[in-house]
Amino acid sequence: MAMNDQDLDQCYSALCEALSRQGEAGAPLLLSMLCLSLISRMDNAGQVLPLIAQAQAAAKDGQTDR
Amino acid sequence: MSNSANTLPDRVPVLIAGGGPVGLTLSALLARQGVASHVIEADAAYCTGSRAICMSRRSQEILGWIGADAALVVKGLSWVGGRSYYRDTEVLHFQMPSEPTQRFAPMVNIQQYFVEQYAHEAALACGALSDVRWNHRVAAVRPDADTVMVDVVSETGTRQVCADWVVACDGGRSTVREQLGLQLQGMQYDGKYVIVDIRQKTRRAVERLAWFDPPSNPGSTILMHRQPEDVWRIDYQIRDDEDPAEAVKPENVLPRVQSHLAMIGENAPWEVLWISIYNAKCLTLASYRQGRVLLAGDAAHLVPIFGVRGLNSGLDDAGNLAWKLARVLEGRSDAGLLDSYSVERVHATHENMAYGAKSTEFMAPPDFAYALMREATLRLARNDASVRALINPRQSTPVSYAESPLNMAEGTAPWTSDLAAPGQPAPEATMPQGRHLTQSFGAGFVCLVFCSDDAPDLSPLADLSALGITMQPVPPSCAQAWQRYGLGTGVDAALVLVRPDGYVMGRWPGVDGVAMRKAIADSGVWP
Repeated sequence: MAMNDQDLDQCYSALCEALSRQGEAGAPLLLSMLCLSLISRMDNAGQVLPLIAQAQAAAKDGQTDR
Repeated sequence: MSNSANTLPDRVPVLIAGGGPVGLTLSALLARQGVASHVIEADAAYCTGSRAICMSRRSQEILGWIGADAALVVKGLSWVGGRSYYRDTEVLHFQMPSEPTQRFAPMVNIQQYFVEQYAHEAALACGALSDVRWNHRVAAVRPDADTVMVDVVSETGTRQVCADWVVACDGGRSTVREQLGLQLQGMQYDGKYVIVDIRQKTRRAVERLAWFDPPSNPGSTILMHRQPEDVWRIDYQIRDDEDPAEAVKPENVLPRVQSHLAMIGENAPWEVLWISIYNAKCLTLASYRQGRVLLAGDAAHLVPIFGVRGLNSGLDDAGNLAWKLARVLEGRSDAGLLDSYSVERVHATHENMAYGAKSTEFMAPPDFAYALMREATLRLARNDASVRALINPRQSTPVSYAESPLNMAEGTAPWTSDLAAPGQPAPEATMPQGRHLTQSFGAGFVCLVFCSDDAPDLSPLADLSALGITMQPVPPSCAQAWQRYGLGTGVDAALVLVRPDGYVMGRWPGVDGVAMRKAIADSGVWP
């Protein structure tokens, strides 16, 4: 059951603010730690591995423009 | 535009500084309440440039109270949703709540000068109660305990006018606000958008269209809205290192617009009508009442354009203020009622700023973190529907006044819905003969009488009618109304008191009126 739009929005903003406070150099570490926390709460690897593949494909496409 | 041949009186009940859409609508609303007002407008006529173009359903209802809705709907282009693209891929198709039987579309696009025209015509239709003075400007404001002295400058010289009440509707650079020594407080965003109106024929559907990092303008964000008379509104973000003064020069605007029109296949000839530049602001006064001076619209608050809460919130200010000011002027309520205008509308501004800030953080990311998260969202959204809601532009919706001092305690009752709890905008519902419940709102207090009798005996409530409250029976055949107002198995009869601005003030089970009479006696609105 996915979370509702309001909660998704709230978490998105909280993460933006946390990254902003952390600074650009520290952002990968913060994001990696958060991902590990979320991954460890999933039921099994079968739920996670496709999401890693999806993120990798979406990140590769065209690379970053910034 | 021509002015009345009569001289501006020395003494007026209400002087409205600013004849923009908020000031003109307020004047018309006051006239509908039987109150005379004089509008002082520095310009010679309606605004140039289309400016605010998206009118919410709530704004259409408010304009309906002055009879300006029909013209607006006929001229405007209504819409219900939109699409967002990342590069060349659609990543969001959103729809705002709407239904086939609705009275108004969720949004209508129309140039601001038409809204000003229709509001002005509605005011003129009320006869001498509304007097608009073009080419007049407020130069000085001196409040004292019982009146406000205002210096009004026109080509014939300066005239001192003594007003019982002054309402500042004179915009973001309000003279009245400056004269009172007040300053807007809050924050501004750096990201700048160029706003361009062009004339070009199109057969594209009326929708909100957004492109992030489009091939036509890599790195930029572009918004497009259709307007009547073959006009496109185009907003695009410029780079942080661009000089704003250079960015609005046609030689810098036209190539970007042309590139984007070519990309989306809009190849008809076009011409530029208006160019402006904008950065998002979240600014407000702490209070919208300073003694006998009230502030409304951009004079009181500036919110980001993303989500279209600027003019729409200004019209809500006018709708909230008009009935309260009319009651105070006619001695039917104490002046303290006007404090609730400030409390409710300052609260609304904070809500609007919170939503507007979120929209701005997506449309003009303030730093690397917001830019990174936006790029992550857009890239994922191409294949992962679960993140698409984050792209939704959070369009303006009516604000709830859940903490309003005017709300009446509703006691404990097994209501089946909180849509009509005190402080909520009274829900719309279809009524017999194709009517809509909101058509009953906007003039005076209305008491909705929910009971099983199709033609209830209202004589036991005659004392409430004598207070100026109109009784509106809602029989059980109005199933939508019964459901939305919380009637059901637990409550099979009820009274719901709706304010003149269409907000629920209180609701009580049963139709004997005992609890409602007590709430009215305690409210201070009917002293």
